[in-house]
Amino acid sequence: MIDFSRVQKELQDCDKDKDASGIRVCPKSDSLTRLTGTIPGPIGTPYEGGTFQIDITIPDGYPFEPPKMQFSTKVWHPNISSQSGAICLDVLKDQWSPALTLKTALVSIQALLSAPEPKDPQDAVVAEQYMKNYQVFVSTARYWTETFAKNSSLDEKVKRLVEMGFGDAQVRTALESSGGDENVALEKLCSG
Amino acid sequence: MDDYLSGEEDDYYYSSDQESLDGLDNEESNLQLVSSRINTAKVITKESLLAAQREDLRRVMELLSLKEHHARTLLIHYRWDVEKLFAVLVEKGRDSLFSGAGLTVLEHHRRRDSSSVSHSSMMSCDICIEEVPGYQMTRMDCGHCFCNNCWAGHFTVKINEGQSKSIRCMAHKCNAICDEDVVRTLVSKSQPDLAEKFDRFLIESYIEDNKMVKWCPSAPHCGNAIRVEDDELCEVECSCGFQFCFSCSYQAHSPCSCLMLELWRKKCHDESETVNWITVHTKACPKCYKPVEKNGGCNLVTCICGQSFCWLCGEATGKDHNWSSISGHSCGRYQEDKKKQMERAKRDLYRYMHYHNRYKAHMDSSKLEDKLRDTILEKVTISEKRQLQLKDFSWVTNGLHRLFRSRRVLSYSYPFAFYMFGDELFKDEMSSEEREIKQNLFEDQQQQLEANVEKLSKFLEEPFEQFDDDKVMQIRIQVINLSVAVDTLCKKMFECIENDLLGSLQLGIHNISPYRSKGIERASDFYTSRSSKEAVGEICQPSNCGTSGRNSEETSCSSRKRPRKDGSHRNSQTTLLDLNLPAAAMERK
Ligand SMILES: [Zn+2]
Ligand SMILES: [Zn+2]
Ligand SMILES: [Zn+2]
Ligand SMILES: [Zn+2]
Ligand SMILES: [Zn+2]
Ligand SMILES: [Zn+2]
Ligand SMILES: [Zn+2]
Repeated sequence: MIDFSRVQKELQDCDKDKDASGIRVCPKSDSLTRLTGTIPGPIGTPYEGGTFQIDITIPDGYPFEPPKMQFSTKVWHPNISSQSGAICLDVLKDQWSPALTLKTALVSIQALLSAPEPKDPQDAVVAEQYMKNYQVFVSTARYWTETFAKNSSLDEKVKRLVEMGFGDAQVRTALESSGGDENVALEKLCSG
Repeated sequence: MDDYLSGEEDDYYYSSDQESLDGLDNEESNLQLVSSRINTAKVITKESLLAAQREDLRRVMELLSLKEHHARTLLIHYRWDVEKLFAVLVEKGRDSLFSGAGLTVLEHHRRRDSSSVSHSSMMSCDICIEEVPGYQMTRMDCGHCFCNNCWAGHFTVKINEGQSKSIRCMAHKCNAICDEDVVRTLVSKSQPDLAEKFDRFLIESYIEDNKMVKWCPSAPHCGNAIRVEDDELCEVECSCGFQFCFSCSYQAHSPCSCLMLELWRKKCHDESETVNWITVHTKACPKCYKPVEKNGGCNLVTCICGQSFCWLCGEATGKDHNWSSISGHSCGRYQEDKKKQMERAKRDLYRYMHYHNRYKAHMDSSKLEDKLRDTILEKVTISEKRQLQLKDFSWVTNGLHRLFRSRRVLSYSYPFAFYMFGDELFKDEMSSEEREIKQNLFEDQQQQLEANVEKLSKFLEEPFEQFDDDKVMQIRIQVINLSVAVDTLCKKMFECIENDLLGSLQLGIHNISPYRSKGIERASDFYTSRSSKEAVGEICQPSNCGTSGRNSEETSCSSRKRPRKDGSHRNSQTTLLDLNLPAAAMERK
């Protein structure tokens, strides 16, 4: 009983302003029950510059039941499981309304990236770090963004730095402590 | 002559005047022991559920001039507590009362068939993103308008999720509860089953969400619920015969308080007592931690793993020992404590067993007597057909009733005593001398009750259907006297608990349902009780029921009563034996 015509319309609608919003929804197959959403990491957050992919499953009762969404890109965030990518967000649960769409749900997820709610955590480890040691949280989140949500992968950076003559382990430590930023890591490596 | 009540027997004997005995014959034909007074507890059957609900709905509808479905939304939100709802109205005003419950009642209340939605023109539905003709759109009271298909899809999901009681509007962040008539209409078109489910949920909310109403806990379930007038602690009897405590829904358990019963049931079910036995009789090996039983007189024990240890302190030792000591080991004073601890655990276990055995014995008797009920009633039937001077055998059924009631009280008086005079609950409440005095007082009463209950049981088991007139008369006198005696003793026991044992402070924690001489309150049929309230003592004719400013809806409800008349008016119509009166007074009546 899935209302495919509505899903179809949503996809068209989303496609229209994909350049302005940066949010995309694409079917994984022809069935329209499995989709992939893409959101850019919000500016001014540790997720900036990253592109995050979200697995979407359309349930039978859609749009009267909420779509199932979870991150397929690894994210370091209090309300997103660092293991499974599961998202703790009210509009995907009891606050879902049939008037919401896949796109508005993705916008809500993007907003969640900007404004974590550590008091209602999905990942207790991340939430604790966020509350107790915010700086460490920020650099870990940034490192994960660099590593998992950017086109240039960690291995490529490691490769480049190793080619400059530094040891592999040394390079990885430097990259991690500089939040994945190649230039900062290079400075660190040079200064000793 | 037998002693029914030591020292006071004169008070409880009645004059065995032949004439006064005959006077009773015509009145006691009904087996039901219900007082003719107005009952406060009511049985709500599947059939009367709707009417019971309507009573509360009407109060809210009248006061706030609301439609039924709006009143229901309010009442569901306030858990059918009309008083609470009115209090919120007075305190916070109409608007916040409504908005708190997700109720939007527009001043210019738009009727659904009127045309703020144009019938012919096409409109856009934001849910399915389709152009739909206006007549296929529905606007909710909150103003949000979507197409009927989408509404129906939304209702279907919510009803199946079990959220019938509060289906919210589809618009994001709109808290308005959907109009139940709209839900019913739109769902029933395509899915009549689901509409029925929706109605059932709404109706059952009256029971599930209402603190004054509880399902009868009988198993298998009789289908009834019981409504009480105030939530004061009480025991009630459902029309199915099950007697239960309204506050904990367990079978009637006075004079035990709900708390005591909970502890007692846990204690009986737990393995804790067995665990206690193990601590008394075995000790864990310090090496492999298996329990080891002591096998001889000496305090050195050896585990199957080969480890020896001292029985008194549990410490690992060598094997070298004699009767008085283990070489290289001394427990000193510690030994004394351990001994005391063991003795204490043993004492606690025996104490529990003492009370539990008696509790269990009376429970078992109660079950046996319940089985005997039919046999005894059969004897009554046989006796009534015989050519005896005595035609009336209601003393047997009354005696039986007394027996069941007092047996139950007796059973639960043991867990009561276990906690009342034990350390668990009242350790700091009284000195040990005080406790001893109180315990003696209570146990005296308990023993007297026990003796009389057993006698009553014995007489009721006599094959009186084979006896001649004289002998039947003798048994009758015994049964009547014993019935009065056990009633009086039960009463005294409850008085003693209330006045001498539990202080006013503890009575707050340990609510104990009062003892009622005429038996546990039998909930009356919902219809009967309402009409008897209006016309106390009178037999309610169906035409009587629609009086005192009831509207037309009420009339339709009273016509529904008619088919049930035979059954439902039974309770209040028949003159019943008032067990409150001592037998002597009854005889003279
Ligand atoms: Zn629609
Ligand atoms: Zn609305
Ligand atoms: Zn029942
Ligand atoms: Zn109780
Ligand atoms: Zn051992
Ligand atoms: Zn020995
Ligand atoms: Zn020892």
